[in-house]
Order: sequence, then structure tokens, then C-alpha cells
Amino acid sequence: MTEKNTPLLDELEKGKWPSFVTEIKRAAVKSEAAGELLQVLERSYKERRGHWKHGGIVGVRGYGGGVIGRYVDEPQTYPNVAEFHTVRLLQPSGWFYNTKTLRTVCDIWEKYGSGLTNMHGSTGDIILLGCKTEHIQPIFDEFSDAGFDLGGSGSCLRTPNCCVGPGRCEHACYDTLEACYNITNEFMDELHRPMWPYKSKIKFSGCANDCTSSIARSDCSVIGTWRDTLRIDQEAVKEYAAKINIKAAVCDKCPTSCLTFNAETQELSVVGEDCTRCMHCINVMPKAIQPGKEKGATILIGGKSTIVQSAFMSWVIVPFMKMEAEDDFAEFKDLMRRIWEWWDEHGKSRERIGETIYRLGMTKFLNGIEVAPVPQMVFRPRANPYVFWNQDDLDRSGTALDGSKL
Amino acid sequence: MVFKMARGPADPEVKAKVLEYLGKVQKAKSRDVAVAIGASKSDVDNAVKELTAEDLVEYLYITTTFICLKGKVQTPD
Repeated sequence: MTEKNTPLLDELEKGKWPSFVTEIKRAAVKSEAAGELLQVLERSYKERRGHWKHGGIVGVRGYGGGVIGRYVDEPQTYPNVAEFHTVRLLQPSGWFYNTKTLRTVCDIWEKYGSGLTNMHGSTGDIILLGCKTEHIQPIFDEFSDAGFDLGGSGSCLRTPNCCVGPGRCEHACYDTLEACYNITNEFMDELHRPMWPYKSKIKFSGCANDCTSSIARSDCSVIGTWRDTLRIDQEAVKEYAAKINIKAAVCDKCPTSCLTFNAETQELSVVGEDCTRCMHCINVMPKAIQPGKEKGATILIGGKSTIVQSAFMSWVIVPFMKMEAEDDFAEFKDLMRRIWEWWDEHGKSRERIGETIYRLGMTKFLNGIEVAPVPQMVFRPRANPYVFWNQDDLDRSGTALDGSKL
Repeated sequence: MVFKMARGPADPEVKAKVLEYLGKVQKAKSRDVAVAIGASKSDVDNAVKELTAEDLVEYLYITTTFICLKGKVQTPD
């Protein structure tokens, strides 16, 4: 345990929630580096500035990512964290482990590193915090022997991530676990050898609840959806009607007003063409409403946090793609290669693909990747004067251009 | 347009040109190397992949990823 006082950090141990300070103090019993980490952190809180540098050489032979060099700015004061590198490991799809695997990860990490872990990082991978340069290669070798591989860092494909999908969730519209595993294996070169203007992320969510937050946090979001119409069990609707106000809780909150509840017959109806597959009604009445039968995914591009430009949400580029068989995955892989090829050619250094598209325009992007424009790519297409709908389509949907009922 | 990134063994001529170019500069993005030596980006990426496995070239992260000759660039202060 560290001998020095950490009054500011101690404040973060108060309250009924877990504290990372408590966990670092526990690690400090075994690790001098973890003890010094507390001192550096306490000083940063006191001085209101960071004391870390990052970057530099990545130490595993043949790899360009997976280890992030971190150095304290006063190595003579903090010799045990002079080098405090981060190691990223590829996580299993859905974060399913058995206890033997977790013990293996921790045993290797305590042998060479600080013992501190972050399960899991914001990208999704296993984060191991704090090791010396001389230990990077032995750490990699032992994890490799245990069946692990490094994750992504730098200007490469970052570790793809997925929601728990059909492993536990009835809403999943495709097998996110299989898609993530299959597609990660395909793009190992892109993951381990940084070759692009900047990082690129793929996240797989099984439905529009988007439990991986893919639309905001990944360059390519693969979000489960369905092509046909909601399936409604009218007997289950009647059971819900006895417990909740369906009109207020479901119909009135439908963003496209495509649901109608008949209080007399106690039946729920949907205008399928107007449904945007937002999942709200399914979340409220999961026993009565299910996604359609023809399931797949919507592919979106361009999500990211603030760097060159402000934060972006992803745009739709493929409204529906089947994601069931190897052929479907092959179609997705081919699309990703075209997207990366275009970005690699036109992107500036440190420019995410969403920023390249923003700078050059969606038209050039779609032409470059040979994808035809469709109305689903347009924000509020029915209110956009540049999208021309046939009167027959509008009559069939029962909705006018301004959103009012015909 | 050919979309597939280059696979299989790298072109020895491209590997030699990459090494020669990296000998003249401190560090570079692989696209800049491709432009400088007149090779396709995918061929350069493939050559770099082999050169890193041969311990002749290494990746360097300074706000973005660069490549450099092994040992040429020290960790920045």
C-alpha cells in the first residue's frame, strides 16, 4: 500500500458506488507501479494538469498497434511508472468468458504488469494498464500462447465490437456475435498494421436500441432492422391494455405516428410503410410486438467524436443488408474495402471518414464506393423537397409531405 | 477500380524502394511513401507488412501512425 497521503483521491472513495481509487489501492498492495500511479494522479488533481505523455514506438514485432506507449513526465520522481504502457487485447464477441480465461488474463498481467485492468475499454477490448517496455514482447508471447491476440490502436481498424445479440437478447435482428467474429478475422491485417489516415471503427448492434452506441461511436455502424412489418399479437395487446395506457405510452410516442390503438376492439394496427423501426413500441410491449420476419441490418457511415470537426452521428448508406450467411458477410466486407479504399485515397492525416465525407460531399463518396443514392440516406426524406415521391406512394401510406394524415 | 488490398508476397522491388525512401526521411505515412516511389498504396502497405515482420521497419505513433526504419526514431521527449 502506498505510504503517502492522497486526500483528493480519497474523496472519490466516498459514497455507495464502486471507486476506481479503491481498486488501484488494492492493486498497490502487490504493485509498486500502482502505488506510484496514485501519487501521480493525486498530483494531477492538485495541480489540475496531466503528467502523462503517450505515443512513440510500438514494441511488438510485426505489429503496428495494440500497445500504446505511455510515459510519466518526471521519471526520476516516479521511476516505477516511468514507462506505463497500455496493452489492448481482442475481446471475445459479447464479452463471454469463463472464469479460467479471466484468471489466465489476470495471472499473465500480474506477472508482467501493474495488475490494473479496464474491462472493457470504450472501443470494447480488454485494456491492461501499465507495463514496462522490456515486458511488452513477453506479454504478447504469453497471451498469444493462451489464445489471445492484440487489439487495435493507431491509424488502423480498431477492435470491432458487438452487443450481446442473440446470446441473451430477443430483439437481435442478426447474429451480432458471429458477424463480429467473422468480420474481425477477415480484417486482421487492417487491425494490426496501421495504414490509413486515422482510426476506423466498426460496431455491431442487433437492433435500433443500439446497445454498442454504434451510431455515435463508430465510423461504420451495423444496426439490426427488418424489411417487412412489425408482428403484432392482438391477444397479448389486450393483456397490455389491462395494465398500461397503450395510446399514451406507445402510439403517442411513436415518432412517425404509424401505430393506432382501437380502444373498442382493443386492437393495435400499424402502417408498415411509415414505421422507422425505432424499437420504442417493442421495448414497451415486448410480448405483443416483435420485429418483422425478414431481418438484417442497416449500414451507416461516419460516426465519431470531436477531432477535426465536431461529433457526428452516422449516415445511412445501405438501408437493408442481409446478415445471415457467409455470402452476406462477403457483401459487407466488399463494401468496407471500397469505403476504406476511397478514404485512404482522399482522407487527410487525422481525418476520420465522416470528416472526409463532410469535406468532399456525400455525392463524391457514393460515386467513389459505387453505391446508388436512395431516399433513406436523406434526413426526413418526406419533408425534403429534393426527394420526389409518387402520389401513389403517398396515397398508400396515408401521410402527406408535411406529415399530416391524408 | 480494383478494391482488394494487395495480398500475397510483397514485390521485392517495392520493398527495396520503401527502405531507400525511409533512409532519406525521419518518418513518413505510407501514402506519402507510395507517392514518392511511384508505387500503389496497397503495394506499399504489403511491403511494409513484410518489412516490419523482418524487423527492418517499425510503426511509430505520434498523433497518427507513421512508419520509419527500425531504431531510427527514438521515443519523443
